[in-house]
Amino acid sequence: MLAAVVSLPEPFDTPFMQRALLETLLLAMLGGVLGSWIVLRRLAFFTHGTGTAAFPGLVVAGPWGVPAQAAALGTGLLYAGSVERLGRRAGADAATGLLLVAALAVGVVLASDVYESGAGVDRLLFGSALAISDRDLWLTAGTVAAVLGLDAALRRAWLAGGFDPVAARSLGVPTAAADRLLLAAVAVAVVVALDAVGSLLVTAVLVIPAATVRLVADDLRTLRLGAVGLGAAEAVIGLWLADTLNVGPGPALAVLASAVFAVVALATAVRR
Amino acid sequence: MSPAVRAAALGGGYAPGDEALAGVDFALDPGRIAAVLGPNGGGKTTLFRALLGELPLRRGTVELAGRPAYVPQTDRTRLDFPVSALDVALMGAYGRTPWWRRVARADRVAARDALARVGLGDAARTRFGELSGGQRQRVLIARALLQDAPVLLLDEPLSGVDAVSAERIEAVFRELREEGRGLLVATHDVEQARAWDAVLCLNRRQIAFGSPAEVLTTGVLQETYGHELVVIGEHRAVAVEHHEH
Amino acid sequence: MLSWLTDPFASDLMRRALVEVLVLAVACGPLGVWVLLHRQSYAAESLAHGMLPGLVVAALAGAPLVLGATGGVLVAAAAIALAGRDARLGGDAGVAVAVTGLFGLGALLALSPDVPARLGELLFGDLLGLTGADIVEATVLAAVVVAALVLAHRRLTIGVFDRPTAPSLGVQPARWEAWLLVVLAVATVAGVRGLGSLLVVALILAPGAAALNLARRLPAALALAAGLAGLAGVLGLLVSYHWQVAAGASVALAAIALFAVTLSFGRRRPGLGVP
Repeated sequence: MLAAVVSLPEPFDTPFMQRALLETLLLAMLGGVLGSWIVLRRLAFFTHGTGTAAFPGLVVAGPWGVPAQAAALGTGLLYAGSVERLGRRAGADAATGLLLVAALAVGVVLASDVYESGAGVDRLLFGSALAISDRDLWLTAGTVAAVLGLDAALRRAWLAGGFDPVAARSLGVPTAAADRLLLAAVAVAVVVALDAVGSLLVTAVLVIPAATVRLVADDLRTLRLGAVGLGAAEAVIGLWLADTLNVGPGPALAVLASAVFAVVALATAVRR
Repeated sequence: MSPAVRAAALGGGYAPGDEALAGVDFALDPGRIAAVLGPNGGGKTTLFRALLGELPLRRGTVELAGRPAYVPQTDRTRLDFPVSALDVALMGAYGRTPWWRRVARADRVAARDALARVGLGDAARTRFGELSGGQRQRVLIARALLQDAPVLLLDEPLSGVDAVSAERIEAVFRELREEGRGLLVATHDVEQARAWDAVLCLNRRQIAFGSPAEVLTTGVLQETYGHELVVIGEHRAVAVEHHEH
Repeated sequence: MLSWLTDPFASDLMRRALVEVLVLAVACGPLGVWVLLHRQSYAAESLAHGMLPGLVVAALAGAPLVLGATGGVLVAAAAIALAGRDARLGGDAGVAVAVTGLFGLGALLALSPDVPARLGELLFGDLLGLTGADIVEATVLAAVVVAALVLAHRRLTIGVFDRPTAPSLGVQPARWEAWLLVVLAVATVAGVRGLGSLLVVALILAPGAAALNLARRLPAALALAAGLAGLAGVLGLLVSYHWQVAAGASVALAAIALFAVTLSFGRRRPGLGVP
């Protein structure tokens, strides 16, 4: 569908690279808007966990003829529900740790049956530019639109609920429902990011750019705009890096994003 | 005149078998300030939760003139949030702004006015976390002002607060009283309670409610605070403050 | 029936795998109990996951994996400590950044060369590909872990159960917690050959959590954790052999399955509990 109608400089002159570019730019939007909330509302580990937990779903999606996103959403819900129930028995810390390693182990066991070589598993864990289909693009674009809408409607609830949860309810703000929708939005964002960056690296696009800007931003608007801008820049450079080094977008974006974070963190630490 | 707050046979807890509060029965008229005294863990916060409708297990009834505004202690808020004093004050208007609308211009003006009223007109753009403790408490009160609520519940608003802030806050209390609102102020300061209209003593149950003269006797205070009370002379007593960590 | 149990271990390969898991069990089981009591599960997982670049570098350079593992763990510990320090982010986010960066670096190093490193083995272990030397290595490291835990037993106990009065007893809890993390690093290096950096934490956390659900006293929990870890190793290898599935993952799942079973026990006769 998306042929190389636009003429861009190398390496973005092939259809599949242009798809990858579009996808990562859309993900940068998500990372900017939703990522700011992930950082403010302390959901970074939840994001990482939901991505990791999707791994077994992704393994069986192909062979079972299920769309990858549906399988990932299913495991995501299962993971979130289990964390809550197990957390009451065994403490949230241990519960998430055990569930994640269980998800990885189940995925590997299932993969023994499904994949002969390791390459298939690598692609699921770390993403691949080749894996991005038109359907992925539509789903990601749809998610961006939905998240922008949710953000416009629930921004105040998310802000008040994060700042002062107890008083927020007395303010008449529907924090419980808003928070549940936030978690759902994060889960959906993780699901659409999986194909491009892989199960283990979703935070590279969804969290790290916003976390980086958070180190220097003092107000919400700077944080959001900065996160989108930084994410977009990292998307372009990251894809170029991925193409040069012949790896998937995931590892390249992860290394780039965390390197930028490290530089900014050191610079601001020295300044303080 | 219907009361600002009325509780009848109120009691309850957080889990089955847990009796955080029992036998609370009082009525606060509009335009009155009542101090809520009691040791930590004695039910002051539980009472506020019950009045806000947030106590899972509740017996008895609560009548309110309208949804109360709650002013917590500032260490319950996120000091690292990228919000200014104005942003926080404006949160008071969130409840009346439907989700599809932006916050009204009138509310923005009201937020600035509220900050001026608590003496922080110049600090509107300062990040909340960078303000002093007393200033932050005043911002939270400004937020409550914006809610325009007939009842205000304040959790130790004067504890650890600098003299300038304390004076301002007490002045605002008097103004709110003039406006006919009802205030319930949880406090450890027995002396301060003497200056107000009513006192409620709680220690997991209601010990007493009435005017300061009636309630602030050594006997009642002893029953309320137990061994945490230090009696100084014939008419003065101080309650020992414990801070949970 | 008996042959079902003994047949798998007829080959040298499987016997070595068995020795490896039993050796690891003795070290990782009790260590897991301490990690859980100190609420360091997140640190344990992050350390193990973050060591990937070290493993990859060693694999590509043809160097002994234990060197790469040690280097990897040290770098991971430094990165996590630094990243987790920024108050603005909340410790969670900083650690997530560090771990993601390290994962990405490891994958990048592994997948970019013309001859890629065997990433799957580094991540999920190579339990059926061990040499005698590997077993010796693991045994030495496991012995270090066990010795360290035995020596520190009393101080660790005080740190967990009597924390407020610990300093007056001459015990600085913070120092022993840091020291526990060092022991954790050693155990991770020991287990990474067999179970891989992603799964080794299962053998540390799951048997420990199971033991805490069942045992009422600490010494019993420590012993039970070792036993359950060993049992998980045996069961995992049996499943792997009979159903032709990955060995390391089977051991990890067996450990977690044992923990799941103890969840229902714990309700009727509560043990120490997992904090």
